[in-house]
Amino acid sequence: MPAAEPAGGTQQGSGSPDVAALIPLVRRIVTARVPDQATADDLVQETLARVLAASGRLESGTLEPYAIVTARNVVTSLWRDQDRQRRHQHRVVDLRPPEAPDEDVLVQEDRAAIAQALSRLSDREREILLAHEVAGRDTRSLAAELGSTAGAVAAQLNRSRARLRVEYLLAAERIEPPTEQCRPVLLAISGGDRRRQRDVDAARHLLECEACGRLSEPLMGRGRTRDDEVRVPVRKDADVVAARHVARELATRLDFSPTDLTLIATAVSELARNIVRFADVGEIVVELLEAPRRGIKVVARDAGPGIDDLDRALLDGYSTYRGLGLGLPGARRLMDEFGIASESGRGTTVTMIKWRDEP
Amino acid sequence: MTAGPRLFSILRQGPYLIASIHTALDDSQLVRFQEDLIDQIGRYRARGVVIDVAALDVLDSFASRMLRDIGEMARLRGAATVVVGIQPDVAFTMVRLGMDTGSVATALDLEEGLSSLERLMNASPGRRT
Amino acid sequence: MTERASAGFPAQISDEEELLPQLVAHLREHRTRLRQEWATRIQGAHLLQAMTPQEMAAETTSVYDNYVEVLETGSVEALQRYARNLSERIIPRGVETQEVVGIVLLLRDVLARSLFEKYQRDFPLLNRVLDAYEPAANRIANTVAVSFVDERERVIRQQQDSIRELSTPVLPVRERLLILPIIGVLDAERARQLTEQLLSGIRTHRAKVVVVDITGVPDVDEAVANHLVQTVDASRLMGASVIITGLSPEIAQTLVTIGVDLSKMDTIGDLQGGLEEAERHLGYAVTRTEGPGGP
Repeated sequence: MPAAEPAGGTQQGSGSPDVAALIPLVRRIVTARVPDQATADDLVQETLARVLAASGRLESGTLEPYAIVTARNVVTSLWRDQDRQRRHQHRVVDLRPPEAPDEDVLVQEDRAAIAQALSRLSDREREILLAHEVAGRDTRSLAAELGSTAGAVAAQLNRSRARLRVEYLLAAERIEPPTEQCRPVLLAISGGDRRRQRDVDAARHLLECEACGRLSEPLMGRGRTRDDEVRVPVRKDADVVAARHVARELATRLDFSPTDLTLIATAVSELARNIVRFADVGEIVVELLEAPRRGIKVVARDAGPGIDDLDRALLDGYSTYRGLGLGLPGARRLMDEFGIASESGRGTTVTMIKWRDEP
Repeated sequence: MTAGPRLFSILRQGPYLIASIHTALDDSQLVRFQEDLIDQIGRYRARGVVIDVAALDVLDSFASRMLRDIGEMARLRGAATVVVGIQPDVAFTMVRLGMDTGSVATALDLEEGLSSLERLMNASPGRRT
Repeated sequence: MTERASAGFPAQISDEEELLPQLVAHLREHRTRLRQEWATRIQGAHLLQAMTPQEMAAETTSVYDNYVEVLETGSVEALQRYARNLSERIIPRGVETQEVVGIVLLLRDVLARSLFEKYQRDFPLLNRVLDAYEPAANRIANTVAVSFVDERERVIRQQQDSIRELSTPVLPVRERLLILPIIGVLDAERARQLTEQLLSGIRTHRAKVVVVDITGVPDVDEAVANHLVQTVDASRLMGASVIITGLSPEIAQTLVTIGVDLSKMDTIGDLQGGLEEAERHLGYAVTRTEGPGGP
């Protein structure tokens, strides 16, 4: 209470200065349990967001124990997911430099960012979120009160959390989204809602919008991680090797024959090279399919100049670079399904599938 | 020139060079391999080259093309080229892809590669530099 | 819902909860007699004749106990495991699906009849007992049948695989020389298998020449013909040359249709000629009548 009184975030009012004093404590608890710096930072933020939200209701004496319990809870829920997260560790990117040059300033910025993020939620959203996360109300009792169902409340909570993450990142990074599309895209990614991501054409937007491309990385690491999908950014030669390696690894899980594994890896290699040669920036997404039958899907997407004459590009021997012009038609021959969409000036998306099961 | 773990090695064995690729190479590394090899063929006036690709799990259109190019360039410098160690899955995939090694000979492994170089030398004794 | 009367008002409690334990106790008590009766019915119906009486006694006891256990615990897992294990043992002896389903249904009926005898004087109670018993019994019959069919399918798949392997034998006739005689219809799946076996055979036997004899293959479609040609090309990339023998005019026609340049393929009329050609490749002297003639 004594020190930080006059700092930022005064409009929020309710005792936020105490929360700032807790940061070293929370950080100590979290970093003692989580070795990874980026993840630890994330968890500290999450803890603080919860404590901050609760601080209005708690007496100042209970704030510290509350923070300790919350920090532990947050870490525990991370551990529960850790097995799956481990495979995706490479996606969790630390947006901040690894060591804070001036912790005080950072603390204030974080606090302001959290406050701003919370203020971006609608009143109703904020109310439900706080009732659940802070006061510990379960979804069923909330649903009863709101005349809704527990499922609907849970879905609402998920959306609110997703929005909070997006708004926090925007505030912390001091980014004003450059386009109308940015917020919906980030929201869809934060919520891990794949259908929504398709609807807003999120993947393409991320390639086109530099700001969102950067912001999406921590959001993807945070969202519900899927261990049957891996995405590899493709910019340089070495990424081609990485992409085919990832595809082979993932395909191995479906017990493809050694020959099929090599066919898949080679097809990925061809597409990844096309991205490096023609588009500078793109990505390869490899995904295992379960239903209606098992298989592996590879999507190669770039924000390059696009292909003017698709028919010609699919002909053997058509080539604008050193190779035999076998990139596209070759990859097509190696896989079972092959589709391509290209728009001049906006880029190219190739989708291909290798089935594991007979039709 | 090669920093860190060696990606490939080129050794002299009598009038021949034995070039082994040790790990998956990306395109720029492949180009460097090609340049190094061609350079050494000229420098040592090698009469034959064996390229061992057994460590490669993928030979895509670029890599296949590079092997053909090496063969062509080596031929212009008076050396015959044999590619050895193409794995079964890789061989089948290359064919599916529509690639081959062109005029470059292939053999099962290093030993076979060297003996087929010997045969090639005996068959065309006129070529000397 | 609250008062759990000790004996007087069983109707308050759900029938299953109340009646199944009773039922289980009854089946345990009369295990020997009921199991015997069941075995007799099985013999009468001429089921499981592939089994000796001793085996029959052992298996029926196990099935009986598992059956009662499912009624008691409501969990079919143990039964599932047992059924799969049993299937694994009896499928090779030619036991059919209807036999397995038959014996389980017989057991269901034997037990139902004994319940009928026990409760026949209290008809409403009998009805409730049967209401509790029947769904559980049907679930058991279902579980056993499904386990059996699953296992059977697995066995069939396995057999298909091994037949396929047998049907494309890779024979090392002498050092560096393989023969691959293919007999019968060559479908896509078999062609795929052939490729993998041939290519890995080249490596393990360090083969330089492979003779693929397709005298016994009636005809192939274009996809398979393509696959065949690709296999020949892939062998070449591994440093082995392929000689095809016994090419029928039909297959030759198909190859030409898909654009294969037959002059680039090494084809010889019959296996004997193919082997001689192969030996020439390898640098062996082929002795016929004209005496030794080195390479």
